[in-house]
Amino acid sequence: MKLEQTIRNTLAQVAIIANCKLIADITDDTVLLQSGLDSLGFAMLVAQLEEDLGIDPFSQMQIAVYPRTFAEFVTIYRQAQQGGNE
Amino acid sequence: MDLLQQLQQANYSGTALTGSEQVGYQQLIAGAIAIRLQYPQLQKQAIALHYTTLPSFLIALLAFDGWSSALYLLPETALDIPELVQQWPSETSVKQHSAMHSTIGSQETRWYLATSGTTGTPKWIAHTFASLSRAVKISVDQSTLHWGLCYQPTRFAGLQVLLQSMMSGACISDCSSGDAEQRIEMMLSSDVTALSATPSLWRQLLMTGRLHQLPLVQLTLGGEIADQGLLNKLSTLFPSARILHIYASTEVGVGFAVSDQKTGFPLSWLGTNHSGLAFKIDGQQHLWLKLPHTPDSNLAKRLDSEGYLDTGDLVHIQNDRVQFLGRDSGVINVGGNKVHPEQVEQVLLQIADVLQAKVYAKASSVLGQLVVADIVVVANADHSKLQPLLVEHCQQQLARYQIPTRFNFVDSLSTNATGKLSRKEPHG
Repeated sequence: MKLEQTIRNTLAQVAIIANCKLIADITDDTVLLQSGLDSLGFAMLVAQLEEDLGIDPFSQMQIAVYPRTFAEFVTIYRQAQQGGNE
Repeated sequence: MDLLQQLQQANYSGTALTGSEQVGYQQLIAGAIAIRLQYPQLQKQAIALHYTTLPSFLIALLAFDGWSSALYLLPETALDIPELVQQWPSETSVKQHSAMHSTIGSQETRWYLATSGTTGTPKWIAHTFASLSRAVKISVDQSTLHWGLCYQPTRFAGLQVLLQSMMSGACISDCSSGDAEQRIEMMLSSDVTALSATPSLWRQLLMTGRLHQLPLVQLTLGGEIADQGLLNKLSTLFPSARILHIYASTEVGVGFAVSDQKTGFPLSWLGTNHSGLAFKIDGQQHLWLKLPHTPDSNLAKRLDSEGYLDTGDLVHIQNDRVQFLGRDSGVINVGGNKVHPEQVEQVLLQIADVLQAKVYAKASSVLGQLVVADIVVVANADHSKLQPLLVEHCQQQLARYQIPTRFNFVDSLSTNATGKLSRKEPHG
């Protein structure tokens, strides 16, 4: 849960800097590119999470994975963190 | 032979484009002939072409290539035209020029495309139709494709897709506007089988979760450096498709394609000819190309004694591949949009509290690169108050993709021996 909260906090911060207006209620099923964050905002989110968490799961994959929903996005980070801790 | 004559000779009978309307090749040809008949005074004039809709744009290209003296493809941003031109589509009646002419037959049209230039100031680059269409492949397979146009049609990359589709007798649909969801919707509804897009747009299309529903047989990546993870993903989704990543320079007016689904290009291409080009790498790790045609006069003076031209792209050799590193000039490529660091630095320096600024690229797994700024500010500045001011000031002066995504407050910036900011080794 802590990871999801970190991602949510970072998302809110990035939205301000990126000048994106997020939709009111972001749930597991929210489609990322329809959350109010555009591609630049999304790129900034991934960059900021790399600073905050020390991982960018999208830069290391042999076969890249592209999350559609918020829940998929969180799952990719969770898996990357677990992979890193092993 | 001009474009119209080539299409007349090819005598394609199918559909040239679909979208809000469906237009056949014979309709395009008839439309172009009608323009020439209705506006004879435009012959040998310079034309500035605005993009309105795909059908009218294609008809205008057909009408004016080989007919007008020059054809300027107007970009979305304003740019001065260095000669007297007729605007097209014309809102008022087309001016009658005194030099009326009755000579029939085609003449070579100079095509002008806008480029961001080496300093950030857009400029016109002249091309011949022969050089623009050099990469076009004509075959039975190509004629069965249905292209989705993802680039602005007035730019080099978009025009390449248009010419490929039209000259090969394929069909095309305009998917160049809207967000990724809207675009994939358009592509699905028109059963697109061929796409050319930036790696960043490919990633966004993948994020819709619906890309695999397209019956793609040809995938092209261009405008940015392609990464292996993306190439692997696309090849997994479309195992029997032809997947190309292309290197192209509007300025140099050339491109080449790599089809082996590995990043960069094979080392064996150095010293041999490939795609009609010769390749070499100099001591500064710049890629040089030798073109099959004489380049624009602005470029001719930049040729070395062997006829090679410096592309300004940095490369390095890794095992049996030549890999691209980016522009030596420090130009940042944000999802295919070029950002000139000097331009952003000038905007930051307009703020009184900012003493020095250095703008550079940070690698992004989403958009290729992002803009980052290191700034030195006056001693008593409150960083937390300054940051929003910087963002707001940039928002007023710069396009969204040019605005630094991160400001690092630093004590000093390193300068090189000549006192200039050293650009090549970013802080951090």
